[in-house]
Amino acid sequence: MLDYNSYENNIFYPMEAKILNVKQVTELERHFSLKLANDKQMTFSPGQIMEVSLFGYGEIPIGFASSPTRKNSFDIVVRSVGRVSKAINKLQKGDSLYVRGPLGHGFDLKAFKNQNVMIVAGGIGLCPTRSMIQYILDKRSDFKKFTLLYGSKNPNQRMFVDDLEVWAKSSDVDFHETVDQGIPGWKGNVGLITTLFKNLEVESNTKVIICGPPVMFKFVIFELQKLKIKNEDIYLDLERRMKCGVGKCGHCQINDHYACIHGPVFSLDTIKHLEEAI
Amino acid sequence: MSSYFITRANFEKFIVKLIQAKKKIYAPVSKKQSFIFDELTSFDDLRLDYDVTILPPKKYIFPPRQGLLTFDKQGHNSLIAPEDKILLGVHFYDLKAIDMLDNLFAANNSDANYLANRAATTIIGANIQKISKRAFWGSVGKDVRPHGYDGFIIKLDGGEGYVYECYTDKGSALLKSGDFSNASPAQIAASMDINERVLKQCPEKLNHSSKEIATKVRSTFKEKQLWEELADDCFSCGSCNTVCPTCYCFDVQDNWNVDQVSGRRERTWDACMTEDFAKISLGGGHEENFRESKAQRFRHRIMRKSTYLNETLGGPACVGCGRCSSACTADIADPAKAINRIMEL
Repeated sequence: MLDYNSYENNIFYPMEAKILNVKQVTELERHFSLKLANDKQMTFSPGQIMEVSLFGYGEIPIGFASSPTRKNSFDIVVRSVGRVSKAINKLQKGDSLYVRGPLGHGFDLKAFKNQNVMIVAGGIGLCPTRSMIQYILDKRSDFKKFTLLYGSKNPNQRMFVDDLEVWAKSSDVDFHETVDQGIPGWKGNVGLITTLFKNLEVESNTKVIICGPPVMFKFVIFELQKLKIKNEDIYLDLERRMKCGVGKCGHCQINDHYACIHGPVFSLDTIKHLEEAI
Repeated sequence: MSSYFITRANFEKFIVKLIQAKKKIYAPVSKKQSFIFDELTSFDDLRLDYDVTILPPKKYIFPPRQGLLTFDKQGHNSLIAPEDKILLGVHFYDLKAIDMLDNLFAANNSDANYLANRAATTIIGANIQKISKRAFWGSVGKDVRPHGYDGFIIKLDGGEGYVYECYTDKGSALLKSGDFSNASPAQIAASMDINERVLKQCPEKLNHSSKEIATKVRSTFKEKQLWEELADDCFSCGSCNTVCPTCYCFDVQDNWNVDQVSGRRERTWDACMTEDFAKISLGGGHEENFRESKAQRFRHRIMRKSTYLNETLGGPACVGCGRCSSACTADIADPAKAINRIMEL
């Protein structure tokens, strides 16, 4: 009989990952840097996901929040919303959690190579796209113009504040940021993410990645169409209830597509005819 | 395939011998006014004259509640421990359904929790002697023949005995438990005729080919009014999913043991017709339900049974057993009714 106590033979058997570092990002979110136990390497592409679990609580789907070019660890950000995420967010450096992955299809790196790239991230949507942002910055000469738009609800909910500061100053990325609502002391833009498109200089042949709350997609796509960006160049990183992560359990199904195996990254061309997609 | 014959008297001895052997046998038995698949402990309980069972036999391969892992302070362990067993008396529509599940659980990321159970199961079909009131298996996915089963029993008219068709080594392995002889050409012809004849006797019927249905049903995706009308009386209870032989959606949950230290990770059958099936929490009390209305959920189920999986399976993911039609309190689940209504548009 096969050894079913291994992820290779049993897709529901998770691997142990050690927490190398943990940071409180906002009131609800914590940022974990992880490494697989027994010196195993996590090999993944930006945009792919994992099922992350804590025994006794359950599993949740989470995207990689760091680039595979940074091999010492891989990052995730967990927002406390339910039983599993709240339990994971009590863990400390040195504790273990359990992962199955990488799962699904991430960004088509070949299609992005030598192209203009724009990433539009809303709120916690910056976490899975940070994998691609870091990847582009680490392999900067492989890409042409790189534009990054980020919107959060208010200044207290901004993710990866240290990164934002670096990106704002960097000449490698044309970075624009806004918050839906300002607070006293906030000197940046105020307004929905679509307001950032007003003075944007973006070529119509730019490949665009969108990730954010479901409500954001339609409005951003509308702005992109005004810029004459083609549907086939627009990629959506979708959120769904990806319970099993391996295309079986049915919860993340969008018509005949499973977000967990055919996505979570889809080109708009592939899913624009699917009523339930966006 | 080889065909054998066994007399009525020897058939009883054959079944008794199988019951006495080590492997468990699960077969149709009566339960009050219905039939179920259950462990067979006596020949007299065997009801090969059943019309349809309440739940399909998939429950022995993909159980309603299946432990995936145990966990405690020391670590976690897989619960894959397949039981060698025989599923006996499975009608051809359920053979088709199991064949579909075999494909779906093996595709993309093969699921050892299903496949190990499947590999340990010998499946013996049986011809349909009585037809359930809501059956339409005679007209659904007609080009799709079941595969993957090991043997098939046909009761010959007049009660002289049974023809036993052997398809695999697992099927042939049962021959040693009974007094079989080679079936005569006349017996083989008679058995084939029995299986052909029954196909024309279903009380319900689809009036179009699978291809025509797939194309037409898919084209009605955005007809909001139609789907609202079809789903109007739906209670979102998921009974249609629960009794379906091709439904395989599941939920995964961790449960602590009473010691609150160890526990099990289990999967349980889930149902896409229930309200929270596609719902996620976004935090801060916000939720997003990707199939919020019962019309969307009803549409999803009909689409899934008639179009979404057709390419993967070579035909529709419905076998026409009629279980959903019988299980539905509001009597709206019947795929034949819904599809025929759509085809008239």
